[in-house]
Amino acid sequence: MSILLDRTNRVLIQGATGQMGTFFVEDARKYGTKIVAGVSPGREGTTVGGDVPVFASVRTAREETGADSAIVFVPPAAVLGATIEAIEAGCRLVVATADELPVLDTIEIRAAARANGTAFVGPNSPGIISPGKAKLGFMPSFCYKEGNVGVISRSGSLSYEGSKRLTVAGIGQSTVIGIGGDPVKGTTAAEALELFHNDPETSAVLYLGEIGGSEEVFVAEYASRAGAKPVAALIVGQTAPPGKKMGHAAALIGSKAEGHQAKIAMLREAGVHIANGVGEVVSATRAALASHAKATAAA
Amino acid sequence: MMMLEHEGKQLLASAGVPVPRGKVIHAGSRWVEDIASGVTAFPVAVKAQVRSGGRGKQGGVRQVKVADELPRVVKALLDTAFGGDKPDAVLIEPWLGIERESYLSVAVDGRAEGYVVMYSPRGGVDIEEGPPPARYAVGAPWNFRVHEMRRVLQDIEPDYQWREKVIALAQRLVRIAAMHDCSTIEINPLAKLSDGALMAADAKVVRDEWAHFRNAEIHGMREAEKQRADTLLRDSLDMQHMYVRLDGDIGLISGGAGMTMAAMDMIAEHGGRPACFLDCSPGPTSTRGYRPAFAMLDGDPQVKVILVSVFGGGTQMQRVANAMKEVMAERKSKKPVVFRLDGTNVDQVPGIFEQFGAHNHARLEEAVSAAVRLAGRAA
Repeated sequence: MSILLDRTNRVLIQGATGQMGTFFVEDARKYGTKIVAGVSPGREGTTVGGDVPVFASVRTAREETGADSAIVFVPPAAVLGATIEAIEAGCRLVVATADELPVLDTIEIRAAARANGTAFVGPNSPGIISPGKAKLGFMPSFCYKEGNVGVISRSGSLSYEGSKRLTVAGIGQSTVIGIGGDPVKGTTAAEALELFHNDPETSAVLYLGEIGGSEEVFVAEYASRAGAKPVAALIVGQTAPPGKKMGHAAALIGSKAEGHQAKIAMLREAGVHIANGVGEVVSATRAALASHAKATAAA
Repeated sequence: MMMLEHEGKQLLASAGVPVPRGKVIHAGSRWVEDIASGVTAFPVAVKAQVRSGGRGKQGGVRQVKVADELPRVVKALLDTAFGGDKPDAVLIEPWLGIERESYLSVAVDGRAEGYVVMYSPRGGVDIEEGPPPARYAVGAPWNFRVHEMRRVLQDIEPDYQWREKVIALAQRLVRIAAMHDCSTIEINPLAKLSDGALMAADAKVVRDEWAHFRNAEIHGMREAEKQRADTLLRDSLDMQHMYVRLDGDIGLISGGAGMTMAAMDMIAEHGGRPACFLDCSPGPTSTRGYRPAFAMLDGDPQVKVILVSVFGGGTQMQRVANAMKEVMAERKSKKPVVFRLDGTNVDQVPGIFEQFGAHNHARLEEAVSAAVRLAGRAA
């Protein structure tokens, strides 16, 4: 299995006729993703990627094609409108990769997603991929391989690097989810962990985090829970100075607890397998998988 | 983006929050005359207008009792660097008769899925050393409930008249934050004056820079920030690059915040020191996008080696490789450049790199170790 995304998702693309949208249609279909519709108001009646019909609204696209999941490729100022349209039209999964989205808009989208029981992934995220099944995002496909490690990442590029290292080492992934670099998230680390916890195919979780924010508190909370799946973690930003925003809005050390040392100490205390630097991602994940094998054998 | 105290107070005052009646004195201009005509009642507080925290502890707030002393104190503050920057202005306010200093803030918080309100009955410069403030997780701004905040404050603020004033102010601050795209509004101290009135004695307001498209003030702040930067950095910021200067000698041109930090950490692991955090991924992945990044690092005497590390998904590597070819062809600097490109269409990179004699390292470890070696040789 996997979380949120597998072969059954029928995907519509908002902003399908833009540059990102066109690239995505071709790339994601090649990977096996079922792209059934595009939504671009004013361009209805045309097609993208050769034969994918374009509609004026998400509602029509859903009625005509049975689409149940959406990915949004529109400029930041239009993301709020597009995602809420998809959420209120009843999509079960909505992915918004956009960065530079005002946080107030994310707050509103998250509230709408909650009220409608929709899973919302993003913003400021590469999206989500269930290797060997489908991808909703623009991550490079060759970095991934089907398997039993769930990956959660605050950073897109770091999730490519981390996943590729696992893949090269022969460790596959159940789902890789980019929760994004913003302070308010569609899906939080805690929620992603809960999904992986309930996914029988996932044996261990690799968490790729950063300095700043409090997301890692929940990773530690999960890891110290009885019956938790083993967790490996990398926290980047050891060399980041306090008080400066390191690209991501949430990657800012505002207090000691948000620094690298405090986060590592807290995660270690909770029994998380720590990778000291991106070079140790594979060994930390192996250690997590080994402790899962041991726990399974004992049970 | 942090507003200066007097800008933040102006925003709060426009929404009816009580703030002291102050006068802003700008450096450089006719400030001696401005003081003489604008400040008549004493004592006053003279406050350096800087964006770094901890101003009070660094002597950035002074009391002046008589008019004769004022020019000397203003000049001293304008000449002092706080967190590396000299203030462009000071704010002169009447010295407040404060009965009690408390703390109130509204901030975006991931755990709260929106805004959180924090209150402490004891505020002031030592707020971080005291017990943590009480938290009311509001969430989306329209979910603020007076009765819920009252429940949070019930046990920690026994003065009910003051408590009700604080709650009303918190409600107003949440509204202001949402209307004006503020990620933080912090009032410390929130002063209780001797007559029981409430006054925002200080204000730290942080605006969400990504709301620039719908807020002229934020747009203006972004432009002003670029103007404060030197020309080389300005060209880079114009390409939406994210830059933080560090104290090492390896100039890092990177893509993605997480990978940039991962590369910085690995440089340190190999015994080197990064000269910057420079994430070029929000800008165009073309020659136009990368040219200013190279110009800035080539022009920085601190930088000995440049390491280009990009792992792209939506960013296609053949485009980045072609941009590198063009930038290298027009570049005059002799500083060595080390490359590590990976991601979408990376298989096309070796063919392009061959055309200008560059080598693409397959792994980050190899590229970092080469850069650290070259930096050591240059030192």
